[in-house]
Amino acid sequence: MTTPASLERYSRQMRVPGIGKAGQERIMASRVTLCGVGALGTVLANTLVRAGVGFVRVVDRDFVEPSNLQRQVLFDESDVTGNLPKAEAAAVKLRQINSTVEVEPVVADINRTNIEGLCDGADLILDGTDNFEVRYLINDVSIKHNKPWVYGGAVGTEGMSMTILPGETPCLQCVFEKSPGPGEVGTCETAGVLAPIVSVIASFQAAEALKILAGKKEAVNRELFCINLWDNTTRWVKIAKLAGRKGHCPCCAKRSFEWLDGEHGTQTTSLCGRNAVQVTPRGGTKLDLNELKKQLEASGSVTANKFLLKFTTTDAGNGYEFTVFPDGRAIIKGTDDTDRARTLYAKYVGH
Amino acid sequence: MIYLDNAATSFPKPEGVYRAMDAFARNSLANPGRAGHRLAVAAKDTLEDARFRLSRFVGGVGADRVAFALNGTDALNMAMKGTLQPGDHVVTTDLEHNSVSRPLVKLADDGIITLTRVPSDSGGTVDPDAIRAALTAKTRLVAVTHASNVLGTVQPVAEIGKLCREKGILFLVDAAQTIGVLPIDVQAMHIDLLAFPGHKGLFGPTGTGGLYVAPGVPIRAWREGGTGGDSKSPMQPAGFPEFLEGGTPNLLGIVGMIAGLDYVEEKGIEAIHRHEVELCERLRAAVADNPLIVPVGHADPARRVGTFSFRCEVMDSEALAGVLDTSFGICVRAGNHCSPYIHQAVGSYDDGLTRVSPGPFSTIEHIDTLANALTEITGG
Repeated sequence: MTTPASLERYSRQMRVPGIGKAGQERIMASRVTLCGVGALGTVLANTLVRAGVGFVRVVDRDFVEPSNLQRQVLFDESDVTGNLPKAEAAAVKLRQINSTVEVEPVVADINRTNIEGLCDGADLILDGTDNFEVRYLINDVSIKHNKPWVYGGAVGTEGMSMTILPGETPCLQCVFEKSPGPGEVGTCETAGVLAPIVSVIASFQAAEALKILAGKKEAVNRELFCINLWDNTTRWVKIAKLAGRKGHCPCCAKRSFEWLDGEHGTQTTSLCGRNAVQVTPRGGTKLDLNELKKQLEASGSVTANKFLLKFTTTDAGNGYEFTVFPDGRAIIKGTDDTDRARTLYAKYVGH
Repeated sequence: MIYLDNAATSFPKPEGVYRAMDAFARNSLANPGRAGHRLAVAAKDTLEDARFRLSRFVGGVGADRVAFALNGTDALNMAMKGTLQPGDHVVTTDLEHNSVSRPLVKLADDGIITLTRVPSDSGGTVDPDAIRAALTAKTRLVAVTHASNVLGTVQPVAEIGKLCREKGILFLVDAAQTIGVLPIDVQAMHIDLLAFPGHKGLFGPTGTGGLYVAPGVPIRAWREGGTGGDSKSPMQPAGFPEFLEGGTPNLLGIVGMIAGLDYVEEKGIEAIHRHEVELCERLRAAVADNPLIVPVGHADPARRVGTFSFRCEVMDSEALAGVLDTSFGICVRAGNHCSPYIHQAVGSYDDGLTRVSPGPFSTIEHIDTLANALTEITGG
């Protein structure tokens, strides 16, 4: 059997029985939207572009920072020096890796107003975010437009992943009914992250992606996969029976897309001439300021009383002052860019 | 929830406002003057009656001098961009809201006008003599707020109006903080252009306002469009005030504004003003011994509206407002209040001020709750 030159570079991949030439051709004809090209996202993008996925749209609002280099595999010091947007910097590397793949970088905050457009035409959506708000938005888009997606998350030394096939598996909201409130779970900024856990989770996601794109849904993982690289533990949580949560899942059973409709998530207000943005979680929440203080102590100077928490930090060379209130709202001084404020909020206060 | 941000917009509205808008929307909400059918004619009647009521309320010469606007800002833009011409000189003050300042600064920046900004005194009052000193042979317009939206200090508009009239200079008053609270008599005060919102002291919904234009004031339409009559004219028709009002007016909002005016006239502006100022004075007295709360503006209640702003030495204004909302359920306005020049003048440009503005539905208990909260926050 001879292999055309265009397929030669994928010869090892095609030799995997589940993929073969037919699977490879399907992969090459497929389109993926990758939400977030940070830690998980760079590993995902790297793998998918090398695997020959036809079109990859990479979306991220952030810029490359020195603390990214420990784990975000597509970036190097020159990207930091150039203060490049992650999406643009990633696109340059990805095109060098595989010029036959069409890579479309989008520097944007993913939110309910643009996510449907960003996922338009995609055969698969991949989660490379660090942000639960975006994950629930992806989940809404996935169910609404019948597109599979692969969830992945990693913090500290542990991570988890699950694959959502609309109509076949539980959706994110079946498994996690509510997103964790601000400050409830650590972020990579506050709890740290070990680079290998990112690679493990993203590689797991990438394998799932290739199964789906090659048309091998029967091989897809139907459980919630959890792994801790420090404790050397893995868990496979059976979630199949949660599908639709007995007809009550707002998203996949009732098709009420609350995140796309703007009932959840955060809103931002630029404060009148103050170089400050107020970020407010919709619906309010209850935040333990002392708990958040403990989480933030490693990242800057922090004080708290029963009324508010003050946190000052330097992020990518810029100084910021956070004033966080017990209902989860925060005033972030040092920027009047609402996207930047959302990023900072997600990093330090939570998702 | 305790709402003390009536200087931004009044809340709640009087019950009659909700009822009038609901009934009108259900039964009568046609396009005024755009047709001859009964509903359109009735809608036009409602609109004309509203003009009459507003003109009478501000001592105007007639209903046809009142043009409706989207809000105070819109009315101010109509006034300034409709009267100023290349080469004109304009005098304004450092108390102005951006709704006055920004159009003027843009016109000056574009080289169309020259602009003089007269500073207020340390108590927050503009001296008419300082206005007089700033006038030149080219001065076409003096634009002054009736009361500072930051300090709550009332300006001597009658005196300024008198000197403008003597010199044949147009006098524009921004009544955002005073309509429905202080008596306004455009004729006695020699006001040529009075811009006012409908959603503050008149208790209408947001999206309402008006501009009173004295007879003989030459004014051009700032926006053009359908006016109802004279459809065949290729240009904006000359009929006043409709020619200033291109587009369907916010009739439903205007109905709410007039229902709010009913409330004001029934209750009496003196009683409303006294109530709001007394509540501010109660707060001033409660924090008088607290060195960490520093009020701004002079303390003569006879020359103030019900707006009280202060600096808090413990935290900046945004943080304080956040604490008052999240821990005490009290809504106040922090920051620079869209009036950067006076914040520069009183030294609060960086940290802002916290502004408390009670309304007719605010109570002594609200103020006492706020005073206790401030004591607790400042560690008293």
